[in-house]
Amino acid sequence: MQRVHASNIGDPIYLNNAATSWPKAPGVPEAVAAWLAQPPHDAARSGSITPADPAADCRRLLARLLGDVDPCRIALTHSATESLNLAILGVGLHDGARVVTTCMEHNSVLRPLAHIARTTGVEVRIVGASQDGVVDAEDFAQALRPSADLVVVNHASNVTGTVQDVGLLFALAHDVGALTLLDASQSAGNVPVIPAAMGADMVAINGHKSLHGPPGVGALYVREGLDLQQWMVGGTGVRSSLRLHPAEMPIRLEAGTPNGAGLAGWAVALRWHAREGHAHVQRKAALTATLRRALHDLPEVRVYGGHAADDRVGIVSVNLRGVQPEDLGFALEAGFRITCRTGLHCAPLAHEAIGSAPDGTVRLSLSSFTRPEEVDAAVSALRRLSARMAA
Amino acid sequence: MRIVETRKVEDCFDGSAVYAYRFDTPWTEREIRALGALGKLEFFPDFPRPLFRLLGEGGWQMKGVLGEDVCKAIYPRAGRESIRQRFEQEYSDPS
Repeated sequence: MQRVHASNIGDPIYLNNAATSWPKAPGVPEAVAAWLAQPPHDAARSGSITPADPAADCRRLLARLLGDVDPCRIALTHSATESLNLAILGVGLHDGARVVTTCMEHNSVLRPLAHIARTTGVEVRIVGASQDGVVDAEDFAQALRPSADLVVVNHASNVTGTVQDVGLLFALAHDVGALTLLDASQSAGNVPVIPAAMGADMVAINGHKSLHGPPGVGALYVREGLDLQQWMVGGTGVRSSLRLHPAEMPIRLEAGTPNGAGLAGWAVALRWHAREGHAHVQRKAALTATLRRALHDLPEVRVYGGHAADDRVGIVSVNLRGVQPEDLGFALEAGFRITCRTGLHCAPLAHEAIGSAPDGTVRLSLSSFTRPEEVDAAVSALRRLSARMAA
Repeated sequence: MRIVETRKVEDCFDGSAVYAYRFDTPWTEREIRALGALGKLEFFPDFPRPLFRLLGEGGWQMKGVLGEDVCKAIYPRAGRESIRQRFEQEYSDPS
């Protein structure tokens, strides 16, 4: 008799939150749907007198998240990638300028930098990291000499969950007069991101990861006194009589129709985070620590990041001895309905540092809504796969 | 079994050749066991969803799940097109 498997083996388990989180914060899907279900109202553009303004709400809530910065210094974008591009292409790097960054960066930093290096005379120095993904401050200081114009640092690695000592690295950068740009894509919502305390001149954020908003929303904080060059200009819905794009923040960096539905959802998520985010992150950190310890105990499993990985980020990257990451990821997804991410995670240079090049890792990433039984199921699955597949 | 839909899938690596196939019927245990003629077959019938992986000659591989009508094939750089055509030909005949 043919064996026919039962496809209903319980709910799928989503451990790919570092790519994009799911589920979203309570009320987010409803807020997005409600925005789309009604005629849009925009006081500036339509003569509406509605007091609702999701963009202003997001700016205000983000300003609080960043340590009570001026909301007007926050430009709303469509992604952290857009924010990083606005910053990198906007600081006015000239022929001969030097940029210092790290091997732990995501392609949303590496590719804009490679682009300007190729199209201009800008020199880009990439500082390496330890096997745990930690950037050495002395190496960093050396790379800053004789001068640097811009420094870009990934706050929390999307490969290992390693959190860099940004305060120290940015202090070194300021010593040589460099501007500092923080990629907070994986850290915002998990660990404090306070530009004033960290010495960050600019901070790039997305809405759809640990802030539990919808995709298609992001932000760029730019400190007072720093005017980025505008390279994307156009309609703003306000001051249309001006021939040139307005120069003041935040619309200086905002062109085109905003993602109203996304911002409506993000505002709900940011309010939820302000109320309950801290407690949820603490719970996630405890679960991540449990997962990391359990996987450390499996002899065939290699866990990356070591003690430098910050459990609040919720990322555990692994490999199984003798098994390609893609094969392990397939087995988890197809065999156990556990969704994770395999490969390079858009951070190709990080793998050279941590020893997982050229094939990358299998990344399990938790969210504030991951349940203990889901972590138990992942450990159980990896234990079985370790016994059956490891070389 | 016959392929009814083919889609090229991108992954992390430039130049890789990954294809997803949909078949006209789901994979049965008999069909999976028959794959052994094409290479080294690994079958995990005791997993919650029984999965299989075929390691074919020349370094290509194919993966799927018992009871599902899809599979994924990964072809190596060397001889990619001829291997892919052979596999697709194998599952093109409605008989």
